[in-house]
Amino acid sequence: MSETRAGPAFEGAATTTAARPLIRVRGVTRVYDQEGVPVHALRGVDLDVEEGEFTSLAGPSGCGKTTLLNIIGALDRPTAGTVEVAGQDLSRLSKGEAAAFRLDNVGFIFQAYNLVPVLTAYENAEFTLLLRGVPAAERRRIVVPLLERLGLADMMDRRPHQLSGGQQQRVAIARALATGPRIILADEPTANLDSASSEALLDHMLELNRDLGTTFLFSSHDEDVLSRVRRIVYMRDGRVDHEVHAAAVT
Amino acid sequence: MLWRMAWRNLWRNRARTLTMLSAVALSYALMLIAFGINDDGHGRMLREAAIAAGGDVLVHGKDYWATRASDIVVRDAEAVAATVARVEGVRAAAPRVIVNGLASTAADNRPVLLQGVRPELEAELRDVAEDLRAGTFLTGGERSPLVLGSRLAARLEAELGDRIVLTGTTPDGEVTRALFHLTGILETGMREVDEVVAYTTLEAAQRAFGMAGAVTQIGVVAEPGVEAEEVASRVRAALAAAGTGGELEVLSWRQAVPEMVALIEIDDALGYIFLAVIYAIVLFSITNTFLMAVKERVRELGLLGALGMPGRRIGRLLLRETVLLTALAMVVGLAIGYSVHRIIASVGIDISSMGIEEMEMSGVDFGKMVMYSTIVPARWIIGSIVIAVATVASAVYPALRAARLEPAEAMRFYE
Repeated sequence: MSETRAGPAFEGAATTTAARPLIRVRGVTRVYDQEGVPVHALRGVDLDVEEGEFTSLAGPSGCGKTTLLNIIGALDRPTAGTVEVAGQDLSRLSKGEAAAFRLDNVGFIFQAYNLVPVLTAYENAEFTLLLRGVPAAERRRIVVPLLERLGLADMMDRRPHQLSGGQQQRVAIARALATGPRIILADEPTANLDSASSEALLDHMLELNRDLGTTFLFSSHDEDVLSRVRRIVYMRDGRVDHEVHAAAVT
Repeated sequence: MLWRMAWRNLWRNRARTLTMLSAVALSYALMLIAFGINDDGHGRMLREAAIAAGGDVLVHGKDYWATRASDIVVRDAEAVAATVARVEGVRAAAPRVIVNGLASTAADNRPVLLQGVRPELEAELRDVAEDLRAGTFLTGGERSPLVLGSRLAARLEAELGDRIVLTGTTPDGEVTRALFHLTGILETGMREVDEVVAYTTLEAAQRAFGMAGAVTQIGVVAEPGVEAEEVASRVRAALAAAGTGGELEVLSWRQAVPEMVALIEIDDALGYIFLAVIYAIVLFSITNTFLMAVKERVRELGLLGALGMPGRRIGRLLLRETVLLTALAMVVGLAIGYSVHRIIASVGIDISSMGIEEMEMSGVDFGKMVMYSTIVPARWIIGSIVIAVATVASAVYPALRAARLEPAEAMRFYE
């Protein structure tokens, strides 16, 4: 592993590729107003992520990982700074445009409460396709193989409460991948899973990253997870502290 | 998918949904039942009032109804009655002489409201004879028969066959007296009526009070289903065409007994206020419940937004839940309301069993009324539309709240 201290993230990669990075974050700050008290969640973050990367944000609770993922996923807006994802300046999007951007470009996996409780695994997985107006036959053609690939072939008709935590997260991955997004953002996807389920989930994510070329950017503080990631961006107090690059991932 | 989600969401909290559903269904059913009873009761009251007024349409000399002056009469009554009887929608035209006078016997003198009538034509409006307690109703061939209300007869200490002197004013302003023979006693059960009412034949009254060829009133009975207002305007036109329109006034019974119409309007208004208060409480609880649902599901609604579902579609999801709830509740409410309507329509509700034993207005005896239920389709349809729109509207604010949720904020809510 090699280690880079602070400074603009992943500059080496930026100089070796002519195209702009898929995710480009510059000088991003985010200040929340908490009952009149300003809370600085991000204090000037710079980060580049290239297409096809498998990158994790790491750091202690409250260091700004979730806030950064929310901003990159157009769920939140920076107080200052610029965020470009897939060539779009997210700070200029209206609420409706942000929703459309998320639908077209980003797949989300959250820590918990990931699925719509009244929908079956299959219906949850096809949900984003449905929002895009994809016809039923086409949705089935896309979603069934995805669920089969994730080992959920026999559980398509189950509601979330009938699935284990790991199975629920895999349904969330299927949903995130269904629209063929360029980026999957995952906020602590293994936080509520036991180690075996975490391992299996990570296997699936790595496999999809390798086979489909989908960019994964997620947050985790699980050392077992981080040990299998090619690039780890460590954050502290709302800033990028340092990065670690692995030569190979098992 | 939105409908499917809405339907499933509705049954996530079965107890709460059933409570809301019951509230809407029962208040809707209550409204339908109230409409049924009110409309039937009002129809009955109006009919009774029309009968008590003397007909669906009344023809008098101009200004008689307001002044009750004895010098205002319908002259050439036979011709006028014939003209009226020929009007389309008129079943009968009953000429009457009405005299406010004094009845005297050796025992007492009492004020009397005498009506000189043609019994066979009066029967077209109502069968007065069915209230007879003793004697006959002007059918005995007597030259000057008299039928009195039971209380009046008692005060005068008069019995069948007794002679009674009636004093009244002729159209010329002369006070005159005439001798009658008591041939019948009526008991309507209404104190005010039984204390003053008296009947004789039209001819006897005309003879006694100097009204040869003239009458005070022509009571018009309309064919069933023909509106009194419509008949009144046709009668006016017919009389104008006959050249007598200017001397006569033609009133529909609604104009003749405005106090009953006003009573029904007030009753309707009170009914609407009562229903509105009940329903406002229901709507308030629905709004409150949906607001609670939005708060409980804030993270899930945030998830939908995070996945790219536009806010307005999230709002629509909640509205669809309300639409489904409303539709279901209204089907249940309609079933309850219609069933109760059918029962009341066949069994009836005896008003006197509610403690209303003696109440009379415009000649209508409320104590004797049995209320049934009648469907007036327009009222049921408009009422149903109002309930449907109001119930769905009660979820608009919660839906707006849901639509305006910021996904990131919503997702953070319970972390």
